Amino acid sequence: MKALSEMSVGEVAAYVAEHLRQSSINVVLTGGSCVSIYTDNRYLSYDLDFIEEGRSTRKKIAACLREIGFQERDRYFTHTDTRFFVEFPSGPLAIGDEPVGNIAQLEFATGSLRLLSATDCVKDRLANYYHWKDRQCLDQAIMVATDAEVDMEEVERWSSHEGMAEEFKRIKELFNRAA
Amino acid sequence: MLEPLLGSTNCERVLIFLAAREEGYLREISDFFETSPAPILKQLEKLENGGVLFSRLVGRTRIYGFNPRYPFLKELKSLLDKALTFYPEDIRARLLESRRRPRRKGKPL
Repeated sequence: MKALSEMSVGEVAAYVAEHLRQSSINVVLTGGSCVSIYTDNRYLSYDLDFIEEGRSTRKKIAACLREIGFQERDRYFTHTDTRFFVEFPSGPLAIGDEPVGNIAQLEFATGSLRLLSATDCVKDRLANYYHWKDRQCLDQAIMVATDAEVDMEEVERWSSHEGMAEEFKRIKELFNRAA
Repeated sequence: MLEPLLGSTNCERVLIFLAAREEGYLREISDFFETSPAPILKQLEKLENGGVLFSRLVGRTRIYGFNPRYPFLKELKSLLDKALTFYPEDIRARLLESRRRPRRKGKPL
């Protein structure tokens, strides 16, 4: 196996997730690092946000990550051999007020990685754009929709459910132009 | 009122304050309930770490509000709005009466 310092974002995420799984801690990768994976690092995030699906204690997670060299610092887990750091935002796994339905799975040399589907990744980025007016997240959503297979009808339905039908109409052209 | 559910009087205070005013800062909330800031801060931090609240710095003041991405926000706000109607009239009136519109610097009154 590659040295941690040479691993890509997906490989590090899979390595961490696989190790956690061996201790019966099941996690799903969310946030900006999913954008990195779907866009082949056109956008690079060093923040690996995992949502834990069960109810493992922080202590158990910390002990498990310590075995592979990640040390807890405040709310984060860092490692001297990699710039990627791990965080466990509070669950549940949801986008807006809807639970995440289909979780994608990718295989890496370092293990299996469960993560948001490309469609849910776009919704996750758009949630930041809709609620925080974060333009960078809109750009990321467009990047993912350009590089990966995304169900834009589902994105439109979800946007309406979030009360953002008008805003989606406005930005739809940006997605079309980028496609 | 919601303390049996929330497990803490100060948690209820924080949530009710924010339900009434949308936003607030530590000193404002603790002064309103005439309590010390430390337990209020503990609740604010707990709720922020749990994704229920967000915070942002305005100058040197950390302002808290409900995280619009919290999946149970609609239901939580409904519960808090209903709880607010059961609060004593004087507290409810004081919570809901708050000047949020701009005020020009240097106005005598």
